[in-house]
Amino acid sequence: MRMKAAWQNWLEERYNIDEFKTFAASKLVPSHRYEIWYFTGGIVLFLFIMQFITGAALALYYIPHTEYAHKSIIEIVTKLHAGWFFRSLHYWGAQLAIAVLFIHVFSALLLKSYRKPRELIWISGCKLLGISIFFGLSGYFLLWDERAFAAVRVATGGAGDLPLIGGFIKTFLRGGIDVTGETLTRFYAFHVSILPLVTIFLIVMHLFLVHYHGMGLPRSEENRKHGETPFFPNIFYKDLMIWLVVLGIVVTMATLLPPEIGKQADPLAPAPENIKPEWYFLFLFQTLKLFPGTMLGFNGETIAIILVSFGVLFFFLIPFFDRKSSRGEKSPLFTGIGLAYMVYFIVMTIIGFFS
Amino acid sequence: MIRKFMLMIFFVIIETTTAFANQISIEVFPSTPYDRYIIYEMLALFWAGIIGLVIIIRMKLKEIERIQRMESTEKEEKKIPLLD
Repeated sequence: MRMKAAWQNWLEERYNIDEFKTFAASKLVPSHRYEIWYFTGGIVLFLFIMQFITGAALALYYIPHTEYAHKSIIEIVTKLHAGWFFRSLHYWGAQLAIAVLFIHVFSALLLKSYRKPRELIWISGCKLLGISIFFGLSGYFLLWDERAFAAVRVATGGAGDLPLIGGFIKTFLRGGIDVTGETLTRFYAFHVSILPLVTIFLIVMHLFLVHYHGMGLPRSEENRKHGETPFFPNIFYKDLMIWLVVLGIVVTMATLLPPEIGKQADPLAPAPENIKPEWYFLFLFQTLKLFPGTMLGFNGETIAIILVSFGVLFFFLIPFFDRKSSRGEKSPLFTGIGLAYMVYFIVMTIIGFFS
Repeated sequence: MIRKFMLMIFFVIIETTTAFANQISIEVFPSTPYDRYIIYEMLALFWAGIIGLVIIIRMKLKEIERIQRMESTEKEEKKIPLLD
């Protein structure tokens, strides 16, 4: 107790703690019937922090070399104390982070939280979603097993189908013409240094913008009378409770469903049968299946990739197309577009999962 | 005796042929029953801890909300003009 008081005195002599407290208490969050969606952002932040911690622990033992990558993961899982648990936590943390990030983005889309002046919040969030998916792909490849190898060959090959820039993107990602050890080194660099740096920058920017503009209010709630709850301690305590439950879910999944390790990748071997990408690529995988080999004399896959790219670009730039929402008017067209995106993603993912 | 020996040889051959066909699966979870028991026990304790902490935080939050309501009522009462 005396120690705590001494530490508090030490801090108060140097910093204006009351100012921090007043600042934290002055941050207000609107309370309304859609407020539950605010918590999805906090869950993503918590899962990202967990990924940084478990990832740092795994990086201490992982060897990014074709000869040792697969073996080092087997060693982590079988020989290190609780190594299997850390790997499993990292795997399930990633799955859940991407899933909750999708929910967060779709909730922002349907509640029109992107409308003026919050366009940059939307853009930084979409970038974070894209980066998280690339995090997932690069992390999956580090396993260096035959399924991960085939998945990266298909994913980078798909990017190569884009006209003009596709060839450059493919070579840049692979570090050569084909997927080799160079690709492993590159993906390791992306996964442990480049992507985390960009992620931290985007998270800081996203949080700063959310603080600057305040929490987004759904259009239907703007004209209604609603109360305001202090962020600290009320919302913070609620966040803490949700984070604890999320931690429990991740730990349970990590314990009951530890991810498998396949056979070591062999660049000369054919791809294993019935391979499927990770669940967040299934909608894309299923979309590519809809297109025939050739369409109007052009490569069907190239046309599919171009259409998907336009779809993603439109999604990214929705705040600039939805002029009605920006003016504070009802925008049923963009509600429909948002619903169409969400339904398409869910349906195609389910079809891809069961087919 | 010879029949038993022949049967043994037969099963040894059968065993080895299937063993070659099997893929070696990597154990991604401790395999001994004792380790598994300890892990599941720890998981149950972990959940008990989480539920306990959630209850404590919820009680604390209720208390804070009660104080906040009392403070707001006090403020409202101070605003009431006094009738002299």
